[in-house]
Amino acid sequence: MKVLSVPVIAFVVAASLPANAKADASMAIIGGGTYRPLFPASKTSTAIAVRPFRLDRVPVTNADFLRFVRAEPAFARDHVEPVIAEPGYLGHWESADVLGAAAEPEQPVVNVSWFAARSYCAWRGGRLPTEAEWELAAAASRTAADGSRDPAWRAELVRLYGKPGPSRLPHVGAGAPNFWGVRDMHGLVWEWVYDFNNAITTFKSGSDGLRFCGTAGADARDASDFVAFERVALRSSLRASFVLKNLGFRCAADAGAEMHR
Amino acid sequence: MRLSFFCLAFAAAFLGAAGCRDRAAPTSTWEATPTLSASVAEPAPGASLYPLDVSLRDQDGADIKVDLFRGQPVIISMFFGTCPAACPLLVTNIKRMEASLTPEARAELRVLLVSFDAERDTPDRLRELARDHKVDPARWRFASATDEQARVLGNALGISFRRIENGMFAHDSVISVLDRDGRVVARADDLSADLGPLERTVAHLGLRHE
Repeated sequence: MKVLSVPVIAFVVAASLPANAKADASMAIIGGGTYRPLFPASKTSTAIAVRPFRLDRVPVTNADFLRFVRAEPAFARDHVEPVIAEPGYLGHWESADVLGAAAEPEQPVVNVSWFAARSYCAWRGGRLPTEAEWELAAAASRTAADGSRDPAWRAELVRLYGKPGPSRLPHVGAGAPNFWGVRDMHGLVWEWVYDFNNAITTFKSGSDGLRFCGTAGADARDASDFVAFERVALRSSLRASFVLKNLGFRCAADAGAEMHR
Repeated sequence: MRLSFFCLAFAAAFLGAAGCRDRAAPTSTWEATPTLSASVAEPAPGASLYPLDVSLRDQDGADIKVDLFRGQPVIISMFFGTCPAACPLLVTNIKRMEASLTPEARAELRVLLVSFDAERDTPDRLRELARDHKVDPARWRFASATDEQARVLGNALGISFRRIENGMFAHDSVISVLDRDGRVVARADDLSADLGPLERTVAHLGLRHE
């Protein structure tokens, strides 16, 4: 027992932790790094330093969200305040606290607003990931922390994003884990992030109007990063009370924070 | 008025400089605090902001909630204190609306200005701002919010913001009128918007004693 391989240590530690912390295995540690936004806030802020953080290994499921709704009835669809979610919130569930045939427990929860998503994460002791955090985690391929320069990985992403949405959402966790052990970052559902409206995407602002010339590519960090454009386009079209049938979320936490499920 | 003239001059300069811009709608442009997208939340019609339970810290250092003026008509907006042009203009615009009211309607009105720069807009600094702008301390409240609470409020008001260099923020300058239950009943999306409809709304709300 003098020399333990890393996985064995991880197993022993997990087995000896209290239930609360053991559930935390649902989160992966994402090493810090640098995120280069597609549309930087300014010419001089092209890189955002991201500190190590924890991220759910899979998106929040219908079953997860049902536990939240039962604990916090203000977020049940028959009680939710209109400012928090538009009509259609959890509309695929059979009733306010029954999933029913159209919402399987292990499918990612969808039809949730940003306000409801952030409240769910806060209830668990966490928060929504920032755009920088989400993108950093999503930049990993199966084998590398940064797959952005790997042509094979990028081709696969384009294929995944181009796939028509399935008539029935797959269960979470069906996708292969990436470098960090996180699944379903691509190809399952779109995901809310904390600062989803960070990108400047209308023609409103004087300093940003020119950025969107050339089919929005003129000023972008990397005009060939097609799927990143798709994410920016989607996020910038959202409002915090919106619900969509293919928009879910996952939670993050600071590296030291205590989470519960 | 001198201040607004400067801002308009800036705006004109930027509009003139923009070459390849397909502007969907006439909008304002402010040099130090570029207006962010309008792609953020506007509450559904009839949605009160007050259930969001946003926590703020006011100019006296007191912990308050965004609904502290529940029962009164409220003008609400967001800003940051070190903002050189757009934010002073925001206050100027609100004071102008206030000045257009009858004394009775003005006595009913409350103003809540929330900074998303809690780090620098300490209670001391907020009190200083209130003094500098010579506003009625009984009816105006300056407050600041953590990044998270500011984002919740901003997402409900259609105000997005982000920190840019030199401690500045890029943000929307939206002025909203809340009715006595916290519902947004009128809004000006940018600083060049016609304030007439807001003035009329506030005047009308001021008449309704319930």
